[in-house]
Amino acid sequence: MSATVAAPRRPSALRMMLRDTGAAVSLVFVVLIVLAAIFAPFLAPKDPYETDLMAIMQPPSAEYWFGTDGQGRDLFARTLYGLQVTLFMGLASLIVGGVIGAVVGFLAAYYRRLDGLLMRLMDILLSFPAILFGLALAAIFGPGLTSVIFALSIATIPLMARIVRGAAVVVMGLDYIEAARAIGMKDARLILRHLAPNCLSPIFVFATLRLGQVILLGSALSFLGLGAQPPVAELGAMASQGRNFLFIAPHISVIPSVAIFLVVLAFNVLGDALRDALDPRLRI
Amino acid sequence: MARYALRRVLLAVPVLLGVLLIGFFLMQVVPTDPAVIRAGPQATQEVVDAIREELGLNRPLWAQFGFYLWRLLQGDLGVSIINNMAVTQELSDTIGPTLELMFASLFWSIPLGIGLGTLAAYWRGSMIDRCIMAVSVGGVSVPVFFLGLLLIWLVGFQWQLLPFTGRGGPLWTWDGIQAVILPAVTLGGVFVGPVARMTRTAVVDMLTADHVRTARAKGLSEFLVVLRHALRNALIPVITLIGLQIGFLLGGAVVTETIFSWPGVGRLAVGAILSSDFPMAQGTIIVLSAGFILINLGVDLLYAVLDPRVRLS
Repeated sequence: MSATVAAPRRPSALRMMLRDTGAAVSLVFVVLIVLAAIFAPFLAPKDPYETDLMAIMQPPSAEYWFGTDGQGRDLFARTLYGLQVTLFMGLASLIVGGVIGAVVGFLAAYYRRLDGLLMRLMDILLSFPAILFGLALAAIFGPGLTSVIFALSIATIPLMARIVRGAAVVVMGLDYIEAARAIGMKDARLILRHLAPNCLSPIFVFATLRLGQVILLGSALSFLGLGAQPPVAELGAMASQGRNFLFIAPHISVIPSVAIFLVVLAFNVLGDALRDALDPRLRI
Repeated sequence: MARYALRRVLLAVPVLLGVLLIGFFLMQVVPTDPAVIRAGPQATQEVVDAIREELGLNRPLWAQFGFYLWRLLQGDLGVSIINNMAVTQELSDTIGPTLELMFASLFWSIPLGIGLGTLAAYWRGSMIDRCIMAVSVGGVSVPVFFLGLLLIWLVGFQWQLLPFTGRGGPLWTWDGIQAVILPAVTLGGVFVGPVARMTRTAVVDMLTADHVRTARAKGLSEFLVVLRHALRNALIPVITLIGLQIGFLLGGAVVTETIFSWPGVGRLAVGAILSSDFPMAQGTIIVLSAGFILINLGVDLLYAVLDPRVRLS
């Protein structure tokens, strides 16, 4: 007969995070904007590309919640579709760059012979700011959403590789990895089943914070005309089009800019809270 | 120190060569013939052929890269497709304004960020701390163009207080200062937040350090303890982190220059790319990358000077 003593359950990371009001609000907000982006076709009261020259530059009203732009397109509909494009751009770059970076990081941590070479390569990539990748790829392949996604992916690779390598090197020193090796487990299986799952928290924190940065950078590139091309409803491109009407109808630029700001803010607050919850040492 | 510096400089060389290689390939993949561009629209086939021979365009690729490096060393980056100006000439005209804008932005944002970060660290956990950190998270989340457009609309247009297009002249003239204020507030505005956050973390670390406790124990005033013992030691990591954020600043500068029609390298780069002016685009990208590499190099060396542990490790 054995008596088990119930250890006091550590509160889950999610619960700890939600104690922070800002984080709870951000989480709800992020869920809402993701839903809004997915269901944009059903939520949008009008076609985001339908121009109405009788109703250009209308201020926000009961009929046009966010007003209309210089070609009479409904800004509420365009903002919903813009969220879709902007979030897609952010997620696509995060996933492409993040996956490649994670693979590099795990390989560097697991095969020590590769470590020096791989991390030097990452250092080289890291020595360029994302905006330069954006400019260079737009120059080579022409401006467009694809160029932006590629540029942001490349800029994400070395950051993710460093985070993953840092976490994986610590886990590699633990006994159970040694044990798994001793019973003759294959490398691939060991990395996927035993190494990766224990490196997830820093990856998660980084991904959340990075998503905000990537969206900010991507919309800046679109604002410059190097990203999504008109008439595509992308928030940065929309803000850029509104520049021409800044003094007559400032809402055309302000509304998409505020949308970007709120989305990025939500991811940043969420990322910070996630880091605090997952890594108690950082709480001061 | 000399050995550390040498190693660090040698590390920058392959990166720089990589940049040049990318610049070189940029000119290979674009659908224009550099010889035709250089010859101008009215040139005969013979002239184009002569230029092609002179530029070494009939040689194998590796030899072309050699030619390209050689011309680069002589300050020859080709001519603009759009206005036939020498790329190096346009670049040397725009580097100054870009540096001016960056300087004007850092001039106010770094002291403010360090001040706010120190206050937040000293009163950590308090309402002041929370407010400062909330503002700084807001600062890193705001798109640069949003800040710029708001300033143009409010300060420039509604209140008519300051000019918002172009450069007014050198920074030591009244017109020059007036014209740089709005762009510098825009660009610096997104930099205050990160500086405040980094300072807060570094100062919090220092405030719990032994030497600060000693300083308190010997009866120094709180002001002196924070300023002379905590902040001063915290500045080393803060300076490095600021240096590493220069890339972030560069991104902001490209956007800020475009919004305010500031005649800098960033605006030149965007204009060149949008008008498919490949030689100019290539030149701007090379200059921006090389500048960034040099800044990083400088920061690393400065760090080694400030902190002996770096160069000994």
